[in-house]
Amino acid sequence: MFRQTLTKEWLDAKRQGQLWWLCLIASLLLLLACTTGWQNYQSYQSDAYDVAQQEQTRWLNQGEKGPHSAAHYGIYVIKPATPLVALDDGLQAYQGNVVRLEAHTRNDGMFRTVQDNLPMARFGSLTPAFVLQVLLPLLILLIGYPMFASEREQGTLKQLLASGVEPLQLFAAKCCVLFAIAATLLLPVIVYLLFIQFEQNESAKLAYRSAGFFVVYISYVALWSIITIAISCLLKSSRRSLIVLLTIWALSTLLIPKLAMNYSTGVYPLDSNQAFQNRLKREVYTDHREMAFERFEQSLLQKYAVSSTSELPFDFAGARLQFGEQYADAIFDRLFGERLEQLQSQTDSYFLASLLSPMIAVQSLSMAFSASDFHHHQHFLARAELHRRMMQRVLNHNQRDHAHKSEGQYVANLSLWQQIPKFEYHPPAFTDLTHHYRVNWFSLVLWLTASLLLGTFAVRKLTKEPLR
Amino acid sequence: MKRLLLNTEFKNLLREKVAVIIAAFSILLAGLAFLNGHFFSQSQSEVVEAAWTSQQHNITEAATQLPLRLSTTEPVKWWQDRYDLRAQAFYVMVNYATKPPLPASPIAIGQADVLPYYFRMLVQEKQQVVQQYDYVHPLNLLLGQFDLSFVLIYLLPLLIIGICFNALSNEQHSGQLRLLLLQGGSAGQLLTIQILLRGAIVLLPFLVISNLFFMLFREQIELQTLTNFTLITLLYGGFWLALCAWVNSRGKGAATNAAILVTCWLSFVVVLPALINTFITHADPTPSRIQYIDSLRASTDEAKKAAEKTLAQFFQDHPELASSSASGSDFATKKIATINAVEQAMQAFDEQYQQIQQAQLGKAMWLKYLSVATLTHSILVELSGNGLVRHNAFMAQVQRHHQALQSFFATGIVEANQKGDFSPCKGCNARPTITDLSTLPQFDKDFPTPNVNLAPMLWLIVLSLLLIHRTSRNVGVLAAPQTSKVVV
Repeated sequence: MFRQTLTKEWLDAKRQGQLWWLCLIASLLLLLACTTGWQNYQSYQSDAYDVAQQEQTRWLNQGEKGPHSAAHYGIYVIKPATPLVALDDGLQAYQGNVVRLEAHTRNDGMFRTVQDNLPMARFGSLTPAFVLQVLLPLLILLIGYPMFASEREQGTLKQLLASGVEPLQLFAAKCCVLFAIAATLLLPVIVYLLFIQFEQNESAKLAYRSAGFFVVYISYVALWSIITIAISCLLKSSRRSLIVLLTIWALSTLLIPKLAMNYSTGVYPLDSNQAFQNRLKREVYTDHREMAFERFEQSLLQKYAVSSTSELPFDFAGARLQFGEQYADAIFDRLFGERLEQLQSQTDSYFLASLLSPMIAVQSLSMAFSASDFHHHQHFLARAELHRRMMQRVLNHNQRDHAHKSEGQYVANLSLWQQIPKFEYHPPAFTDLTHHYRVNWFSLVLWLTASLLLGTFAVRKLTKEPLR
Repeated sequence: MKRLLLNTEFKNLLREKVAVIIAAFSILLAGLAFLNGHFFSQSQSEVVEAAWTSQQHNITEAATQLPLRLSTTEPVKWWQDRYDLRAQAFYVMVNYATKPPLPASPIAIGQADVLPYYFRMLVQEKQQVVQQYDYVHPLNLLLGQFDLSFVLIYLLPLLIIGICFNALSNEQHSGQLRLLLLQGGSAGQLLTIQILLRGAIVLLPFLVISNLFFMLFREQIELQTLTNFTLITLLYGGFWLALCAWVNSRGKGAATNAAILVTCWLSFVVVLPALINTFITHADPTPSRIQYIDSLRASTDEAKKAAEKTLAQFFQDHPELASSSASGSDFATKKIATINAVEQAMQAFDEQYQQIQQAQLGKAMWLKYLSVATLTHSILVELSGNGLVRHNAFMAQVQRHHQALQSFFATGIVEANQKGDFSPCKGCNARPTITDLSTLPQFDKDFPTPNVNLAPMLWLIVLSLLLIHRTSRNVGVLAAPQTSKVVV
């Protein structure tokens, strides 16, 4: 019986003239988006790889110089992208993916791509994520809104139910057909997800991410399919069902995400860069710092029982530089930590709004699986900062241990530059950051449950349909 | 008859809760969007104000503490000494270039949350200066600001569609249209009254609230700006009303009308802009900033390696400094010469970015006509002063200021060096070489900004007129069989 119902629903759907046009347009858009996404990813990765190599060569070939000059010379590190960025580039363009690592300073990422864009870019680009998160639900509701409502209007629904078709089966059959049509549109994405498994080295990590990515979107398709059919079933006319579904779509994809983020940034405001940099300078370069230097010098003199720094068994300038770095690092940790806390609060507050909009949950999880979201970027920045500190430590310790032995100005060479390993960044395993996305998972499950409950309610109402 | 129709339609709308809900929505959205845009602009104004205050405070403080500096016998580190030209040039100068938001800024935030609106100026490569930015949550940039332009472009058309999609079709399918025609009314009149009245329910609250809030909260706003904003809103709203009228005049059912209108909205507001944007960025791709950093690094290395050659080149380019310089090869002059060399080496790359931007703008100028949303957005962004025209004017002014500062310090440092001010004797402090910080070049905030060109809005008028023309023809056809059937 279910198979017959399914066949009937499939034939009904096929007869809808608009179905093929909508599917064709959506497929073309998705294919175009996937192609441009792949091109962008390839070009970014190639640039990132080439420039990282160049930078390493430059570092090694910087010639003979003092270790502290090398520390100021520094190095630029670039955040690599995962292949999933081709499907969802998330926040890649909105945060600087290059960081300069140098002495005394903790820098933010440089050159956000979005700064080079025209104002028109704020309408959004055609990316697979945009098609999947915004357009696909619209396609589902445009195909699905008349599935029950128009049958009711034409009077065929009562006939069907009177002929002994189980309401639950009918509802399930319509859901299955709608889900199958929408899921078919995910094919290019599925093919790409499979393709990258064979292309990449770290296939285990990537497989996990790809599977997660797929689960998120298939759940999203299921969610919208059930909601669409349930609304179509609950409302009397196809007109009302279309209006209600469109309102839900506009609220969840356009209005709530924007309002939620604007609200979050209003409630947890950030200092301007000017204020932040002033604060950094004010807190690092203080009399307290000079006194700390003084105490450090005295403690060394006392420890080694000497009266002047020139009598120390190492170069005092090198030790002082490292002390200065550690002193500044503690302040960086506090001030950058405070800023990160505010940013984290903004993110959490936004994630909480996923209880109101399933799109927020899906968008956040999709970016997370693609490693193109805020948390992954912070992970990269933290790793870059650790590398910077290691660089400074190695260089300062080298000066401390060797500068006093040299006659004239001490210069280091290739052997020291080689002691600093190349910065190799790999996004963490998704499980390491899962705790950040609990709300999103919870919301997605909650939305799925709510849609199933709505479906159950609709089926109950359908049971009473012949009596209406 | 017209008055009767108007009264009846008005009463019908009042009876329908949807009309009240939509009017309330329009008021709420306008208020929220204005306040959000206003607070955003206010926060930028405060930052700009703080920058100017700190600059002025620094000048005053330096004047007050000058006697103390002149009398000190303690060793002074030159790089921390605010009275030393070299320290001012490279480390301690408090000099800002700022772009304060205009009173019309809440209309459309545009790129104002992305593009830098102030720079702390130091004598360094301009490539290092212009990459400064305010750290904001990247998600906020991705999602954009909830401002008046967002409400106008995205949401008002949806409200218009929501209230207008069943105009005429209700009367047509319930048979009321026949009665009306029998009583001497016309379908055209009914449709016009329905569309205009429903349009007014959406547009008027939006315009009243936004204009009122502008007058209350942004006192310096010009009447001309408000008139332009109102005109743009009416033209854009007018287009959507004309579209609704045309779709309704085709005589289909309400659900079909709604589906067609939503598809139009989706095409104009969501899909086409994204497609245009994708096309522009792929037709003229912006060169990679990662490669740019690589070039910057290579140029800096090159200039530093050839420091003496760079210095010689610098004096060749600035003979006025070379002729009076006995020992010009001090650290500061070398540094300025290196900065100059790096900027010159990077000029070609910077021009490449400008050329690409111009090419993209050229394409955008024509392609924006494909979608009413992109057309309206581009004008609103410029009207609010948050578009590329004003930003490019600001950047040109920043460039001039950067050159003025460089020239000021290059001259001052060479002269001071020549006089031996930096090392008057062995082991003693450098002499103060700048005692009045107000003599430093100050950024001129009154940079010229071209007027907003409203001419592209003519395209909206043309489209609306075409739709109205088609509507009147359709209504004629629609009314004919209805009348004849009844007469027969």
